[in-house]
Amino acid sequence: MEVMNAIVEAGLAGEEGASVAGLTRKLRKPVVAAANKMVYIHHAPIRVWHWVNAAAFVVLLLTGVQIRFAGRLNLFSLEEAIHLHNYVGFMVISNYFLWLLYNLGSGQIRLYLPNPRGMARKIKEQVVYYTYGIFRGDPNPHQVTPEDKFNVMQQQTYAIIMFALIPLQMATGLFLWEIKRFENYINFMGGVRIVNLLHVSLFFFFAAFLIGHIYLATLGHTPLAHIKAMFTGYEEE
Amino acid sequence: MNRKWGMSLAMLVLAAAMSGAAASWAAVDNGVCLDCHGDSSLTRKDGEGSVFVDQKSFQYSVHNINGIGCLDCHTDVGDLDVSQAVPHKTPLAAVNCGGCHEQAASQYRLGVHQKASHKGIIIQCQACHGYHDVVSNENKPVRERENRSCLKCHNPGKYHNWLPQKETHFTYVQCTVCHAPNMPHVIHLRFYDLAKRQFLEPERVLAALGTDFDGFMPMFSRDAKPEEMSADEFENMVFALNRRGLYVGFHAELLSQNDPRVHQVTKVSAKRACADCHAANAPFFDSVAMFFVDQNGGVHQYKLDRKVLESYSVSNFYLPGSGAVSRLRPLDLGGILLVLGAGVGVMLHLAGRAATAPLRKRRHDRKEGEAD
Repeated sequence: MEVMNAIVEAGLAGEEGASVAGLTRKLRKPVVAAANKMVYIHHAPIRVWHWVNAAAFVVLLLTGVQIRFAGRLNLFSLEEAIHLHNYVGFMVISNYFLWLLYNLGSGQIRLYLPNPRGMARKIKEQVVYYTYGIFRGDPNPHQVTPEDKFNVMQQQTYAIIMFALIPLQMATGLFLWEIKRFENYINFMGGVRIVNLLHVSLFFFFAAFLIGHIYLATLGHTPLAHIKAMFTGYEEE
Repeated sequence: MNRKWGMSLAMLVLAAAMSGAAASWAAVDNGVCLDCHGDSSLTRKDGEGSVFVDQKSFQYSVHNINGIGCLDCHTDVGDLDVSQAVPHKTPLAAVNCGGCHEQAASQYRLGVHQKASHKGIIIQCQACHGYHDVVSNENKPVRERENRSCLKCHNPGKYHNWLPQKETHFTYVQCTVCHAPNMPHVIHLRFYDLAKRQFLEPERVLAALGTDFDGFMPMFSRDAKPEEMSADEFENMVFALNRRGLYVGFHAELLSQNDPRVHQVTKVSAKRACADCHAANAPFFDSVAMFFVDQNGGVHQYKLDRKVLESYSVSNFYLPGSGAVSRLRPLDLGGILLVLGAGVGVMLHLAGRAATAPLRKRRHDRKEGEAD
């Protein structure tokens, strides 16, 4: 992997390496070491779930912006935005439960559960890597394997998102879908404005997360390596 | 003569004898009519249809409270002839509500209900408003208002499938907001007892505050605009009720203003423009009020500043697109900053990687040299 990183860095550097334009051109021309071993990391159900979720999130974010800022934006009519948001919202809910069932059934749910042993050290290493080491060309302290595909920070972030934030977003979305039908739950939570506050706060969080997520996905040994892996299932070791 | 008419006639004769004069138009008061029409089994001469008037309902109707008697509406009763089984002419003409409610009648004539008469469907005022039990709906919840009028004939649940939040709209938005679109609207706040989980009658609120309908507004609205309660004054009112053991929230509803134009109900031009309401600059946000109805049916309207809608006490109120009246505006600001922050963070990291690329290249070359 270290050799791989060195090759990537060689590809990124060069005469134009210091300019953003040069970097962008280099990013489009990934350097791949043919000798590297491919490892099957992402199972097919997870890949399907991921891309369905990704497309749905984009639609939910766009329609969500329209609903939130109705009268100020005209991406869709409010009526269209609400109906689309509702349909896609239910799709995401169904997709979530398929994901959960698959992960529980296959035992892959353990990939999302951080091991407390050495956690503080691993977090420190990962933070140092992203804030310092990556600029120097240090290797990523976490090696991706089928049994350990997330680094400790990914693991914690995804655990919080998948077991807390997504369920909360789904529940608040469901309540807001039919306020009258769920008014007892809404009143229990303090009123529709509180429910909406949670839903909109999470909407902004997910919008910000998506930006970070897409960027981090380009930090493989080539900019498209992780993204390709999410289609093929194979990461280079 | 059937038994009931006979009994009624006997009572009428007795009343006339006691007054020492023949019953005349001028002498007939509500009591005389109700002597017969207060009998719940009283029917028309042909036995078809009840002519019973519930005395209690009539007593509390806006008409009776305001001194409108039977003969003010049933103007063609004429002199009573107590020698007859039915002491007045029959059949009586239909009541002309438009005689008093002129503007409402003229607006009604422009609406869809009047147009239905071309199809042979006659919809008179009482079809919506009832007969002798007309009361003020001003402080009733939307559903209760509609039960007394539109929902007698219409089943909105069968239609409106295009409408998101159908039941929520039916609960909080009066039909005429969309179906009488030329009307000015008002956001009406209703007191809700959080402890007992029920709506509060204005009398309870006033009793708790130790004031009356006229004293309510001056008790709290003491700034430069005494005719309108500001957000701070509204909070003071809530705190004053809390101190007196009444913990209240408010339910907000969107209503048509009490105006004769509400009778110009339309179908084809019913609004299907969500953005007319779901926009920060929607005009009805400028009209927020509480209505108290007194025992005489009088409506007391208390105007509120639109910022009242931002109060935590009105936490059941939220309209998508209503950001300008929502206390959540800082949330939008914070959210946009969060998203921009993520974008800026990513750009800085990317720029850092680009700037340090020569460093990594040198390091890589050195390592390769060492390896050789």
